[in-house]
Amino acid sequence: MVILHVMPGVKQINTYEWEVPVGTVANMRVPGKFFLSESLGKILEPGAVQQLANVATMPGIIKNALAMPDIHWGYGFPIGGVAAFDLTEGVISPGGVGFDINCGVRLLTTPLSKKDVSGRRDLIDQLYQAVPTGVGSKSTLRVDARALDGMMVKGARWAVDNGYGIPRDLVRCEEGGSMKEADTRAVSQKAKQRGVPQGGTLGSGNHFLEVQIVSEIFDDPAAKAFGLAKNQICCMIHCGSRGLGHQVCTDHLKVLEGATKRYQIKLPDRQLACAPIGSPEGRAYFGAMAASANYAWANRQMITHTVRQVLARMYHIDYEDMPLVYDVAHNVAKFEEHMVDGRRRKVCVHRKGATRAFGPDAPDIPVELATIGQPVIIPGSMGTSSFVLRGTAIAMERTFGSTCHGAGRVMSRTQAKKSLSGREVVANLAKKGIIVRGPSDAAISDEAPEVYKPSDEVVRVVHEVGLSHRVARLEPLGVIKG
Amino acid sequence: MSFIEVSHTADVKIRACAPTLDALFSDACDALMQVMYGNSREGGIQKEIEIDAADIESLILDFLSEVLFVSEVEGIVFSKAKVQIAGLHLYARLDGEPFDKRKHFGGTEVKGISYSGLSIGHDANCYMLDIIFDV
Repeated sequence: MVILHVMPGVKQINTYEWEVPVGTVANMRVPGKFFLSESLGKILEPGAVQQLANVATMPGIIKNALAMPDIHWGYGFPIGGVAAFDLTEGVISPGGVGFDINCGVRLLTTPLSKKDVSGRRDLIDQLYQAVPTGVGSKSTLRVDARALDGMMVKGARWAVDNGYGIPRDLVRCEEGGSMKEADTRAVSQKAKQRGVPQGGTLGSGNHFLEVQIVSEIFDDPAAKAFGLAKNQICCMIHCGSRGLGHQVCTDHLKVLEGATKRYQIKLPDRQLACAPIGSPEGRAYFGAMAASANYAWANRQMITHTVRQVLARMYHIDYEDMPLVYDVAHNVAKFEEHMVDGRRRKVCVHRKGATRAFGPDAPDIPVELATIGQPVIIPGSMGTSSFVLRGTAIAMERTFGSTCHGAGRVMSRTQAKKSLSGREVVANLAKKGIIVRGPSDAAISDEAPEVYKPSDEVVRVVHEVGLSHRVARLEPLGVIKG
Repeated sequence: MSFIEVSHTADVKIRACAPTLDALFSDACDALMQVMYGNSREGGIQKEIEIDAADIESLILDFLSEVLFVSEVEGIVFSKAKVQIAGLHLYARLDGEPFDKRKHFGGTEVKGISYSGLSIGHDANCYMLDIIFDV
C-alpha cells in the first residue's frame, strides 16, 4: 500500500486496521489508529496521517488517536478524526471540532414513490426557491435576537416549539437536538450578528438538500424500525451552524491560543490550540460550541419545515406523514460515558468529520430503537449513493461509538475546476435521471461525484470492521447544491 | 494578482508572493474575496480595519477573519485593500461594493482561516505566504 512508502513507521495490524506508532512525531502519548482498505489507502495523503499523529500528542488523550476510513487532510485534526480525553488530565480543542460546528445530516421520509417525483423538475425548482442557498443567502424566516437566543439554548426544541416541526422530530435527533451545556454568554456579539440573518439557510460548499430514493435494503428489521422501505422517496439535509459557528471557532481559537501557552501545553500545530476541559477557557469554548451545535440543530429543523411545506403543498400529504429517520452531528465534542480498560468513565469525545454510532442499548437512542442501535446517516456526493447504517457494540468498544461521516474528497477544487465543467456535470447527471440545481457552474463542478472517494467503499470498510452496519442505500434523484 | 490557488484536497490553499509585507496581506485579502465572490468586484464603499497581534501569523489570520466578518455582516464585497503594517500593528483601508447575488455568484463560502499550513517567509526578492481557507 502507498501509505507504507509515505509514512515508514505505519504498521498494518490486519486487513483494515493500521497503527501509527508512538514516535512517528515527537511527544506522541498514545498510538494513532485508522481503518482503511487497500484501495482507499492508495489515495490517502501523508499529511492526514501526520495530523493523526499530531492529535496523539495532546494531553489526556485516551487509548488512541483514531481516524475513520474517510480520513483526509484537514486542519488541526484530520477529517475523519476521533479522540476521547480524560476529564481531569485532558483538553478541549476547536481543532477537533472544526469551523462548522455541528455540521450534520438528517433524513426525512415521505409516503411518495418514484413515479411521483420522476422527472419533476418543478419539485426541485420549488425546493430551490424555498430553501435559501449559496454565498450571501439570507433567511426568509423571521429570526430576531430573542429567537436567536432560543435557537442557541434549546436547539431543535426551540424550532419545534415555534411551529417548525413536530415533537416526534426531537426524539429522532442526536441529543434530542439540544445540548444542555450551551452557554450563550460565551458566544460573541460578532457571532450572534452572523447568526441572525442565516437561520434556516443551507450555506454553500458541500452542503446540500437531496431528494433520494431508497434503492436497496440490507437489513429488513432495522429498515422497518427506522421507517424505511424500498422505492420510498426521502429527503436528506446536510448543513451546519453557518456563520455563527464559524465565528465561535475563530473567536475561541484565539482565546485558546493564549491558554495553550498559559497552561504550558506543547503542540505541533497551532490549529490544535486547546485548554484543560475544566479551565475557564475550556469551559467557555465548550459552552459556546454547544450553543452553536444547538443553532445548527434548530437550523436543520427549520429547513425540514420548509421542505415539508413544499411537499405538503405539491402532493397534499400531511406533515406527520413525513417523519424524521434521524439527525446526526459530524463535527462536535461531547461528554459521554464509555468503557475504558474495563471501567465506565465519563470522557470528552471529539468527532471531526465522524459520526456517533451508538450500539444497541446505549444511552440517548430512541426507546423504540434500543435493540437495533442508533441510525447513522452517511451522505454521498451528488451522483453517488448515501447510506443509512446502524450503530454497533463494536463501535462502542473500539471507537468511542463512532463511524465515518461521508465519502471524503479525493480531487482538489483546482483540479475539479480544470477537469470538469459544471454544465458537463449537470448533463452527465441528467443522463442518470438526476436533476441538479445550484447557484453556479463552479459550485456544481466543485462538488461533482468525481471529486469524492466512492462512498460505497468507505461504507463497506466500516461495515466489515463492524463500526456500523448497513441498513439501506439511497440514490439521488434531485440535488440542490448550496 | 500575485497569488495562485494551490492544489488541496479538502480546502482552498493560497500561495502569494509580493515585494512587501503590506502587499502580501493585500493579496491575501484579494484571494479571500475572489474565492468567495469571483473576479467581478468594484469599489465605492470604504471600510477601515485595525488589528494588533502577538505574531505575524496571528496578524494575517486575525486580519482575514475580520475581513470575512465585515463582508458577511455588512454585505460588502471588497475589491481592494490598502494595508499598512508597522511591527505587529495593521491598518487597512478597504474598498468595495454591496453584495449582489446576480453579480457575485459562483464563489464558495469561506468558513474560517486556518493556522494549519500557514507560513509567512521572505527571501531577497519577495515575501511569501501559504494559507488555507476552510470552505
